[in-house]
Amino acid sequence: MSDKQSNIFNTVENYYKDYGLRAKELKKEGKKIIGYICSFVPLEIISASGCIPFRVRGNIHEPITKGDTLLETIVCPYYRSCFDLSVKQTYDFLSGMVIPHGCDSMVRSYSAWSYSLPYSYFHFINIPTVCGESSSEFFDAELNTFRRSLEKFAGKAITNDDLARTIRIYNENRDKVRALYEFRKADPPRISGTELTMALTVGSSLPIGEFNTLLDQFLAEIGRRKKSPLKKGPRIFIDGACLDNIELIKLVEELGGNVVADTICNGARDYFPKTDVGGDPIDALAHRYLDKINCPKTYRENKTGTFEGDIASRFNDIGAYAKEFKVDGAILYVYKYCDPFGFEVPARKAYYQSIHVPLLHLEDVYSAGTISQLRTRIQAFLEMIG
Amino acid sequence: MTLTSYYAGIDIGSTMTKAVILNKKIIASIIGPTGPEQRRLANKVMEEALNKAAISFQTITYIVSTGYGRINVPFADKQFTEITCHAKGIISLFPKAKTVIDIGGQDIKAIKIDTTGKTTDFVMNDKCAAGSGRFIEVIADTLGVSLDKVGDLSLQSKNPAKISNICTIWAQQEVAASLAQGMPISDLLAGVHQSLADRICRMVNRLRVEEAVIVTGGGAKNRGLLKALSEQLGHEILVPEEPLITGALGAALLGREIVEKAKQNNTPLKTKERILEEIEIL
Repeated sequence: MSDKQSNIFNTVENYYKDYGLRAKELKKEGKKIIGYICSFVPLEIISASGCIPFRVRGNIHEPITKGDTLLETIVCPYYRSCFDLSVKQTYDFLSGMVIPHGCDSMVRSYSAWSYSLPYSYFHFINIPTVCGESSSEFFDAELNTFRRSLEKFAGKAITNDDLARTIRIYNENRDKVRALYEFRKADPPRISGTELTMALTVGSSLPIGEFNTLLDQFLAEIGRRKKSPLKKGPRIFIDGACLDNIELIKLVEELGGNVVADTICNGARDYFPKTDVGGDPIDALAHRYLDKINCPKTYRENKTGTFEGDIASRFNDIGAYAKEFKVDGAILYVYKYCDPFGFEVPARKAYYQSIHVPLLHLEDVYSAGTISQLRTRIQAFLEMIG
Repeated sequence: MTLTSYYAGIDIGSTMTKAVILNKKIIASIIGPTGPEQRRLANKVMEEALNKAAISFQTITYIVSTGYGRINVPFADKQFTEITCHAKGIISLFPKAKTVIDIGGQDIKAIKIDTTGKTTDFVMNDKCAAGSGRFIEVIADTLGVSLDKVGDLSLQSKNPAKISNICTIWAQQEVAASLAQGMPISDLLAGVHQSLADRICRMVNRLRVEEAVIVTGGGAKNRGLLKALSEQLGHEILVPEEPLITGALGAALLGREIVEKAKQNNTPLKTKERILEEIEIL
């Protein structure tokens, strides 16, 4: 390993371990950092206001304690962990918090965040649960409300030109992430799933410009690699919500599987869809966030009239990725009490069967304590498909 | 030059440790409790099996470890999960097997297998150990009945109790309360087995259960549980002569397959040095 390589990998690891390290420095420089959760918050608008978006992350090694005195345990453990860390002052460098209607837990607990945390700005974004003409109109208006609220907080007008500029930068970011995924296509992949998800997780704690620079260095370094960090093994697809702790992916790779693609929120779900350019920026953002992000929280009408047709249209992205990345098997990883994914498990299972991709369904509690139980299941699954 | 090749499988479960040594057929098998000692001293288990087989450690061609404690066997050449091993072990005993239900000390697995003994699908209980062997141990203890008697005793019941709690701790309280009210022990045990069978069925039925259905693990030694399970599943259940060793047997058979494949392909066989030492994990 060259010094340069170890440098960029070390940077990523440091930012991953000390999540928020850079945000704290920026706060000292007088920048306003705005926390958010979920892939439905239009980061382009936050960045256009001059504030810095920061994805609030949970920690599977930290037992949920104080948070559970304020939130009921019917809320999914991932979200509770994010909240728990926040009330334990982990993210006190934040100036504000934005929560979208990403699931029922987010709506119902929004007030708990605003009562319990000392930030000066809070905003809730109402995301329509269905896609259609009226939803788009509504969401346009909702995004303009968000824009005005940020203008007031940042003390700065957000012009259409500002938005066009940040849309361009975020699209560049998505192109870079896509380029990183290209390295997964080799067998064995040139980049491990652990490295990739760690880098993307870290990216959501940085200003978008710095994230892009980091990706440039990362891409260059991976490009110079002579040899994969992994051995040939079953090519695994990870399907699920936000996987902001890399332990699961690391475990799969320790056991000889290669994680080569995903639908996760800090992965393809969020980074693959781009925003249209040229037209009205708010329209384009509304279209991207509402129609292009394929999340189980959104109801999409079944136009075919059959169950097979329904699952084929709802999950066709999975089938496309499975083909593109030559997937041998998939792991559907669902947090306990995650309603959007929980409801979809039978339909997703049926879809994997229809595309002949072996599936391992894991339900987990967002805690490092379950790793050894997961180990047996994952190892058996790899033995089965290997 | 070795004339006979020997293969060893060692299965360290949460409650019991099993080892099998075979060549063409099983030449030795041992079963003992997994105490804190065995978890650390897989070498002692191996020694015991070697003594029984009257062969030396050096003559073992290949060693596979499996089970919950599979990673604590430093001298194993390879480790496989108990799921893969049970499937392999069962198909060697029951060539028509399609579904395996393993009722172990702290977990339950259901495995679908093809005609070669390869797993095609599986489910396992997660997070909660209610419904496993440990559940019966706790109840047997509460009722003051030895574990090997609970099955037969429950078969005497004409009016099985309804046990409504799934959680082991609460079910234990429920049983204790019913016992205090004078309910016969056989009825309570029959109720416990029905509740357990119900819980196992709910999990197993997530797979398409097909005959032949084989039950392994400690649970397979409990006739009361087997009866309740067979009734609720709606399938006949078959049990190996010694249901505890199928994982270790499968492990040894997988070892033999690896060796034979290496011979066929003329590829070198990677094995560990044959040294029996205890490991330090504590």
